[in-house]
Parts: sequence; C-alpha cells; structure tokens
Amino acid sequence: MVNLTIDGKQITVPKNATIYEAARDNGIHIPVLCYAKKLLPYGACRICLVEVEQMKGRLIPSCTTPVTEGMVVTTTSEEIVKVRKTVLEFLLVNHVIDCPVCDKGGECDLQDLTYEYEVVTNRFEGEKFDLPTDEVNPLIERNMNRCVLCGKCVRVCDEVVGYGSYSFINRGFETKIATAFDRGLHCEFCGQCVSMCPVGALLPRPFKFKARPWQLNEVDTVCGYCGNGCTVTLGILDKKVETIRFNDKIGVNDGNLCIRGRFGYSYVNSDDRLTKPLVRKGNQLVETEWDEALQVVADGLKKAQDGKGAGILSGARLTNEEMFLLKNLAKTLGTGNLDHSGGECYKGVTEGLLETLGVQASTGTFPQIENTDVVLAIRNDFYDTHPVVGMVINQAVRRNNAQLLVVSGKGGKLSKLPRAKTLLSGPGLELDVLNGLCQVLLEEGLAKTDGLEGLVALKQSLAEFTADKVATKTGVDADALREAARQLAGAGNAAIMLAYGLPYTPLSKELAVAAANLSLLTGIAGREGSGIYLCGEKANSQGAIDLGLLPAADGLGAQAMLDAAAGGKLDALYVVGEDPVASFPDRDKVEKALEQVPFLVVQDLFLSSTAAKANVVLPAASFAEKDGTFTNAERRIQRVRAGVPSPGEAKTDGEIIAALDAQLGGSLAFTGPEAIFAEIGKDVPAYAVNYTEIGPQGVVWGGEILQPVARKLGEAVAAPMVEGAYRLVTGSALHHSGTTSTHAKGPLAVVPEPFVEMSRADAATLGVKEGDLVKVAGNGVELKLKAKVDLRMPQGVLFAPYHFKESGVNRMFKTESVISVTISK
Amino acid sequence: MFLAIAKGLSITFKHVFPGNSTTVQYPAVKLTPSDRFRGLHRLVPEQDREKCVACYLCPTVCPAKCITVESAENEKGEKYPKVYTIDLLRCIFCGYCVEACPVEAIEMTDAYELANFNREDFEFTKERLLK
Repeated sequence: MVNLTIDGKQITVPKNATIYEAARDNGIHIPVLCYAKKLLPYGACRICLVEVEQMKGRLIPSCTTPVTEGMVVTTTSEEIVKVRKTVLEFLLVNHVIDCPVCDKGGECDLQDLTYEYEVVTNRFEGEKFDLPTDEVNPLIERNMNRCVLCGKCVRVCDEVVGYGSYSFINRGFETKIATAFDRGLHCEFCGQCVSMCPVGALLPRPFKFKARPWQLNEVDTVCGYCGNGCTVTLGILDKKVETIRFNDKIGVNDGNLCIRGRFGYSYVNSDDRLTKPLVRKGNQLVETEWDEALQVVADGLKKAQDGKGAGILSGARLTNEEMFLLKNLAKTLGTGNLDHSGGECYKGVTEGLLETLGVQASTGTFPQIENTDVVLAIRNDFYDTHPVVGMVINQAVRRNNAQLLVVSGKGGKLSKLPRAKTLLSGPGLELDVLNGLCQVLLEEGLAKTDGLEGLVALKQSLAEFTADKVATKTGVDADALREAARQLAGAGNAAIMLAYGLPYTPLSKELAVAAANLSLLTGIAGREGSGIYLCGEKANSQGAIDLGLLPAADGLGAQAMLDAAAGGKLDALYVVGEDPVASFPDRDKVEKALEQVPFLVVQDLFLSSTAAKANVVLPAASFAEKDGTFTNAERRIQRVRAGVPSPGEAKTDGEIIAALDAQLGGSLAFTGPEAIFAEIGKDVPAYAVNYTEIGPQGVVWGGEILQPVARKLGEAVAAPMVEGAYRLVTGSALHHSGTTSTHAKGPLAVVPEPFVEMSRADAATLGVKEGDLVKVAGNGVELKLKAKVDLRMPQGVLFAPYHFKESGVNRMFKTESVISVTISK
Repeated sequence: MFLAIAKGLSITFKHVFPGNSTTVQYPAVKLTPSDRFRGLHRLVPEQDREKCVACYLCPTVCPAKCITVESAENEKGEKYPKVYTIDLLRCIFCGYCVEACPVEAIEMTDAYELANFNREDFEFTKERLLK
C-alpha cells in the first residue's frame, strides 16, 4: 500500500493504482475522456492533468501516472482549470457542434466537460472536419467528424474483443480512426466500441434518432441469450425496449456484450409475437380467451395422463422460478416425463461431469480465467457460443501472457489470438486429442494421480491414444500435442473451456468425461484460480440442471419422449419455450413425433414451426418482460427484471404454468418470484439465498471455486473417423444463439440466412464464389445453402450453423457429429 | 391637503375624457401586443422542411409537459420531427421552449385569440404550428 495526499486528503491505495484511480476511489473527481476502467491507461486526451508537488514545473496526466509514497497531488487550481479549458478548446476546434441532432447529446463526455468548464468561446480557429459517415454496415454508425481521438474504440477492440477493427491513420490534424484501408466497418459487430465512445462518433444505428438518453428508463437485467449471463441495461421508452445499454460500473462481465446482447433485442418488440392464446378448431388455430385455452390444455393433459401419459419438454431460457413451477406442474399432473431441451442433449453436464467430478457445473468463475497461465479451449466454436467469455480469454492472453491452446476441427477467432496454439484435428476428432493429452500426461509421469479413482482402467483405455497414434488419426502434430500436455501440467493456473448446446449433442458426454479426466490429471479441478468450465448454451441452462428439470427415475427424457410420441406411446406433449422442429437433431423424427402425438401444447413467443403443429398455443413473455433469476454458466444466480409489459394478452411462463397448475388441482400458490425462490432454496440447498440480497454481481452458489465431490476418471470412447472428401459439421454461429435470434433484426442484418462455410481451396476446386447457392447432400438429405468462403475452414471441412429452421441442417444431422457429404453447384 | 386631493382627482378626470382611455373597444378595436409578448407558438419553416431538428430540448424543459415530439430520419438522413404537437390547454406560455431551442426553430407570436369550442382544436399539430 502507498500513502499519498490528494487535495489535502490523506489516502492509502494499492501500489499499482494510478493517481486517477486513487482519487476516484476516494471520492475526488478528476475529469477524464480517454480513461476506461476495463482498458489499460493511455493518456491521450490530457483532460486529467494534475499538479504533483514532487514533479513541479509541468502538469502530470493522472490516469497514466502511478502513485508513489508521499506524493502530494492537487487536482484543481487556476492553472489546471486554464489548461483543461485550453484542451477542450483544442478539441472543439474541429469537433462539429451538432449536439441537437447527435444522439449522444445528454450523455456526451465532451458536452459535459464543455459545460463544466464553461467553454463558451474558442480562441482558436480551424476547419471543421467534413468526413463522410460510414454507412456500409447495418449496426454501427461511424461519424468521424465528432471523434476526439481518445482511442477507446481502438483499444477496446484490441484489448478486450481481440478483433482489431480500428487503428489511427494519418498524422497531425488529419489523424482519424479508420478501419483496414478505410473501407468501412466489417467486423463481428459486438458494439463494444459504441459503448466505449465518449462522444457521438460511434452510435448504434438501430437506435438512430429514436430518443434522448434522459428520456430512457433504464432497467438492469440479464441477457436472455447464452449462458454468459452478462448484465444488460434495457433502454425503455414508452414501454418499448428501444436499445440495450451497458453497465461497466457494477454489471457482470464488466459491461462487455456481444452482437446478440447489444443488438439482438428487437425480437422483444417484434410484430410477430403471439398476443392471444390459439386453439385448434378443425384445421385452424383460432384466437381465443385464456380461460378457454387453459381449460382445453388442462383437460387434454389430464386425459392424456389417464391414458398413455403426458410429457413436458422445456427450453432453457425460463427463469429458475418458472422451472420450479414446471416441476411442480409435472408433480400435480403425476408424470415423470419431464425434461429441458438440454437434459438429453447436454449429456456432458448431466452425466459426464457427474460421473467423474460428482458436480454438474463449472468449477471456477469467469474473472479467474483472466489470471490463468494456460487456457485450453475445446472447439473454436467456444467463442461463437460464448463470445464474452471468449473476450475474457483474450484478456488472459493479451494482458497476462496466458498460453492459449485450442483443440478444434476448424480455425476461428480463438486460433487467431496471439501465441494461440491450435491442435487442428480432423472434424469431430477433438475427443481423440483430449485423450491423447491425458495419455501424454500419464506416459511422461506428469499426471497428478494421487487420490484418483479408476486410474488403471483409464490407462488401459488410453493405450490406443499415444501421441503418435493420435497424430496419425487426427492429423495433429505429435510434438505439439506433447508440448501442449506439458504446458497444461506445468501451469500454475489453468482453465479448460467446453461449451455444450443443442448442435453439439453427439459425443457431448464423452467430451465432458475426457475434459474432466484432463482436469483431474492436471489437478485443475477444484484448484484455487483454475477450473474446468462447462458452459451451457442458453441463459439458464445451468439453472435447469441445478433445479433438476430432468426426468424422474421412471420417466422419459427429451429424446425418449419424442421417440415414444413418434411410436404412438405418448398422448400429450407440453413444449415450453423451445422449437424442437428447428433446433433438435433429427428433424424428421421430431416432426413425426409432433404429428403423431394426439395432444400438443406449445408455449412460445412466436408461432414457431413447432407451434404451428400444436393443438393449443399459449403466448409467453420474453426475458425483458419477467422477474426472476437466471443462473449462468459460472453458477452465478442473477436477478432478471421486467422492463416492459408483454404484448397483448401474453403472460409470463410462470403465470401460465401456475394457472395451469391451479386448473389441474394443484395446491401450491405463490405470491411472486421471491416466494418461489425461497421455496427453491428448500429443495436445492445451494439456492438458499435471500432473493433481495442478490446484488448486481449476483450470487455464485458453491463459492468462487467449486470443489469436486468425486475424483473418478472415466472412459471416453472415441468415435471412428468419418471419411470423405467433404465432411460437414454443424454448430453455432457467432451472431446467433438458438433460434430466437433469428427473429431479431440486429443479428439478422449481419447474418440473414443459413450458409455453408468452406475453405478457399475447396471453393476454388468447386468453382464456387461467396454467395453462390450450393447443394450439400449427405445422409440421404440434400440442402441448398449459400456458400461462405473464408480462411478458417480446413480443406475438406464444411460448416453449417443450426439456427435457421429453413436450412434444415437438423434434418441431415440425426445422431452424428460429422457427416460425409457431396457438394455441387 | 385639499390641493393634494384636487391634484389626484385631476389625474383621474383626465382619463375620463376621450383620447386618454387605456381600454379599447375589443373586438372592434385590437391592441398590438408588445414585441416581447408570448402568444401562440410558431414553428419556423425553412425552404423544404421545418427548422426544428427534433432535439427534444423543448419537451424536456417544458414545465407543463405540453409538447410532444417524435423524431425520425428523413430521406436525406437528417433528423426531423415526425410529430410535433403542443397541447395549448396545458401550455402556460412561459416561453422556456423558445429559450431552450438551439436552432431558433420555435418562436412565440402575438396571437392571443386562442379560445375555441372543441377540446381537439387546442391540439396544435406540426402543420398548424408551421403556418
């Protein structure tokens, strides 16, 4: 700790603090433009100049100067004010004064400072910029005439996002921020630069001219897309979500957001939202009143339960409270056939991790990743499914020189990070590489085998996975594999990252077991500062597992229910917040099941392809319309807050389920989420937290480090390699999450339709250009998809994301992770 | 004392005679208000559009909350008020809107005859305010 005096106030701060941070933390205001909490100090704007007794004769930028013992700092004096005023005058020489039409007006740092320092005249004259605005991209408006060259966008894009879209070009007065060759922005559109910009140079285009900042009602809630659980702030005007703002002061994940969180909100306001319950009369779905619809559903479910049985299948974007109510409903109905979309598909967590580590969650928290020495990411898709954790990995790599190891069948964002080592295997062979890593650890005696069960069996099962054999099968360099294993074993702290989700159903259990083996052999599981992270695809995937939204001992799981329905062995299916036709593997089977089942109830935001087949469709509420809690992939329980009312007569899933429960004769009634959450705490000890005490950072159940209950090595049986000239894999695309984002304008503006991604070499061989329609045939199915040509795909490997129902990718993928296909124009 | 009373009365009587009266025969005769008079608002037009850029400062400053603005983007990519309405029944004619306007797009005219028979007629839309 260091002692210093600022404005006569004695303060003590950590020795790595800067003068600015020391002042800020002690309630002393120093104005800044280019400083941001999550970025490294830069010192571009010179607004934060202060006087230091020991460095007399010049003014010192407080945001870049570290504190020293006995420092005496003055933050305001006549001279300082004069200098700051001059700096503002310099900035205003060429900054266009179009505050009345600038959307930043009202929350603009330059505007505020100009007001604070009463800069009403300018002693300097100069030409105003007259640069064209960047209008080539759909989401971010760049008006460089307003830029003050603080460099925040350049830095956030490099330091946090790791994309590097921007740079300063030209010199002197001509300096400006530009993209490569000044061609306009073409990036992943996370909008981080927009949230960083202190002036109106970077603005969200969908929000253009919509409202003034002071008119917006702000509600902090949790993003409803993936399992990162980022805090999003809804900007609400007239009961409508007009924009998403960020919260880097108290929010989870430092206010970092991706394109889905930042621009994917518009589905909430969509005109396609269901507003009234629909009941099938004859061949048509007819709008009706809630009373009737609920009666029909209750009667139908009761009848089915008395017959061959009813099943309940839920999505993983319900709040914990709603899931609890759904469990309760299953009890009232008397059925054990209950599952969430992940239950069957995400075997990785539900079975794999439970068998090996005895826990069903990530063992660490995301902020710890930043301080690890080695990060092992399984599949490059990790960045695509969980972009904001990807940003944390980027920070670990760039700031703390962590070694990033990627085990993947294709290239991607993570592989491009500095010093990243990619163990590039054939598609679907990541498991072999993980087993290979384990085998190297055992072979070279690097493994920490104390207290591990099942070592002998593992050694036997891994005999086939020597580095050389793995190298021959997967194409990964044997020496690179050995080196990676040594790095993992030698790391002080390490993180193993694995994402799971609907497109990754095959081999998910095996992958989780292999990752868990690796975490046990390296001692990562449960070690302070390290962890194995299993990240769920949806906002509350973890909550669904924690609450046990899973089949009873004698009940059917998701796939089993669909099988039973397809075989005529199930009389009713109640699908809540999921569109299995579009997202589950093996669409033909799902369609058959939904057509065969005599009574189908679907509860959703939109008339999805599943809902179109239903007997009753119940309109539900989105994440922005309900209160409750989500549990993110690091076990953080966070409050979800309603910001806007539901459209029409739509109700929250919780209200609907509770009403149905009452209709079916259920005895439990709750006054609201708080009461339900208290009830959950009685069932699930980890959730015994006071609802009102869940703060902006949430509550991490199990603590920062979750200790494994068991240490049992499991066997991960690898699949045989799929041969073929062209091999197709599926997964998540960065801009989308599940199927909901295909209703949101932001992500759609960037990725509007399904595609098949291929390498340049393949495109050249096939004579295919970007945007051409190609036929991809395999597994007895032919798909017509637009071609996307880039550098990340290895030759012979094709990738098609699963989000779009019209692509029919899940028609082709039934149980396999890789399919040998033919491709033609 | 009498002198003082007589002096005072003389002023009073002076106003009784024609030419010295301050009242006029309204509505036959109308007074011209002072230049600073705050009457009905007017939106200042430009060649092809209104001068207003929909910056929302007037509805923000308005103490009676009688101004409704909705901004939008026109074909040229400029910000303009798609809706601009003043509810005269609520307006207190304080003139803050004029003072707040950064582009001098709103002014107050000398029109003070604002009585009407229908409630709706007190809603001054953009078109009416531009006249």
